[in-house]
Amino acid sequence: MRVYLRYAVKETLTNLWRNRMMTIAAVLTVAVSLSLVGAALLLKQSAAQASAQWQQGTRVTIWMQPTATQSELANVQNQLSTLPIVKNCTFFTQAQDYQEALKILPPSESSVLHVSDMPSSFRCVPTVPSNAFVVESTFATQPGVYRVTAPEQQIRQMNRAIRILQVVFLALAAVLLLSATVLILNTIRMAIFARRREVSVMKLVGATNWFIRVPYMTEGFLQGLIGSLIAVGAVTALHTWYPLHNEFQLNTNALLGTNAVVLVAGVAIGSVGSAIAIRRFLDV
Amino acid sequence: MIRFENVSKTYKNGTPALRDVTVNIDKGEFVFLVGASGSGKTTFLRLLLREELPDKGRILEAGRDIGTLSSWRVPYLRRNIGCVFQDFRLLPNKSVFDNVAFALEVIGRPRSTVESQVPQILDLVGLADKARNLPGELSGGEQQRVAVARAFVNRPLILLADEPTGNLDPTNSEVIMALLERINRTGTTVVMATHDKALVDRMRRRVIELDHGEVVRDQARGVYGIDEPVIR
Repeated sequence: MRVYLRYAVKETLTNLWRNRMMTIAAVLTVAVSLSLVGAALLLKQSAAQASAQWQQGTRVTIWMQPTATQSELANVQNQLSTLPIVKNCTFFTQAQDYQEALKILPPSESSVLHVSDMPSSFRCVPTVPSNAFVVESTFATQPGVYRVTAPEQQIRQMNRAIRILQVVFLALAAVLLLSATVLILNTIRMAIFARRREVSVMKLVGATNWFIRVPYMTEGFLQGLIGSLIAVGAVTALHTWYPLHNEFQLNTNALLGTNAVVLVAGVAIGSVGSAIAIRRFLDV
Repeated sequence: MIRFENVSKTYKNGTPALRDVTVNIDKGEFVFLVGASGSGKTTFLRLLLREELPDKGRILEAGRDIGTLSSWRVPYLRRNIGCVFQDFRLLPNKSVFDNVAFALEVIGRPRSTVESQVPQILDLVGLADKARNLPGELSGGEQQRVAVARAFVNRPLILLADEPTGNLDPTNSEVIMALLERINRTGTTVVMATHDKALVDRMRRRVIELDHGEVVRDQARGVYGIDEPVIR
């Protein structure tokens, strides 16, 4: 067993070193394609998380001026209660909105806020989501109203943009993953070709098929693994340093899950590539 | 030790290589396989190595039908068979020592075995002083001795030789034959395919002659070709 391990390790490393240009190309292609896959997965998860947070509750928010008078507030509230397209409304005081802002904004931004700067707001649920626009147009120009926002519409637009981005990422990644597999396959094929004399002698003297195969299998496996480790680094860096709003910020579990997918995919690509090469070109 | 029972083999292109061959070779025998090119000698050896399977008939080695052997056991069969070829088949980038050691390493023998067996076998073939040379630095005769050392280092039960003297001058052929005889005396069954008439005639060993895939002669102390007209 020890003889075997030493042999397999030595052969694998020799093969990788001999074919180093091809190896680098294969590893980098795996790394780039899996980084794209990882990024697409992160994007999908944070978008889902953000829209889940935003969609529960308010569909239309009427932000009042911080300086709005009691009569202006009462006026808006009256109109809302009589409007048939509005199902119900909740009034948030300046203090409540301030508390919420503290939760949503990063400390660097929320620390400059004061309660008196904050608008008070009416959070309303329209009977049908599309009525959010009617509410918006009715109240945007009323005295004391700062502005009206309908987050759902924005979420929808954002989701569409994210979906397109995701499809583009995944399509690119699919093409790159295919070429990575072919590159690995080709590297292994060259390694097999370079060692055809050794292989024929090994068969002759009775080396077992697995003994002959394993160095090539580990070679492909290692290329996939190294490529995916680079991709894991890239995905983690993206997650750590790319500035996102709190709603988008994913927890560590989501990152770990994404990295696990990336690792498994890399190892799978390497193994599949070398398995095909071995089946087709290593006659054992 | 080796038994062919009504073995036939036809290649995919339709050429019959062996036709209804029945041969029995005992343990410790030295057998010459003679016949023109294309008479089936090489197919005979390839069948013994299970590089091919017979279309009809059975081949028994050490009492076991090798046709029913599952493919993962084939390497273990081959560990009992040493092979020598006309073109030596040495690895050009490995030293003489490493070429012989390779045969032990790839079947998982521990380093201690390699270190004790390889010098011993190189001594036997008379190349102890060339252990560190590359095959390219050796003469043809010496290279073939390395190949014999590699084939025998694992002490196989059977040694197959396919025209081992085909590329050698008479003097070197003598050395190889002396070596094969010596190996045969240790109890190893030797099967040698050859074209070398003088050699077969002088050795006076069992001769099996193949012609178009059929055994036309099986003679206990035979010569190369008794019926062959002398060409002047």
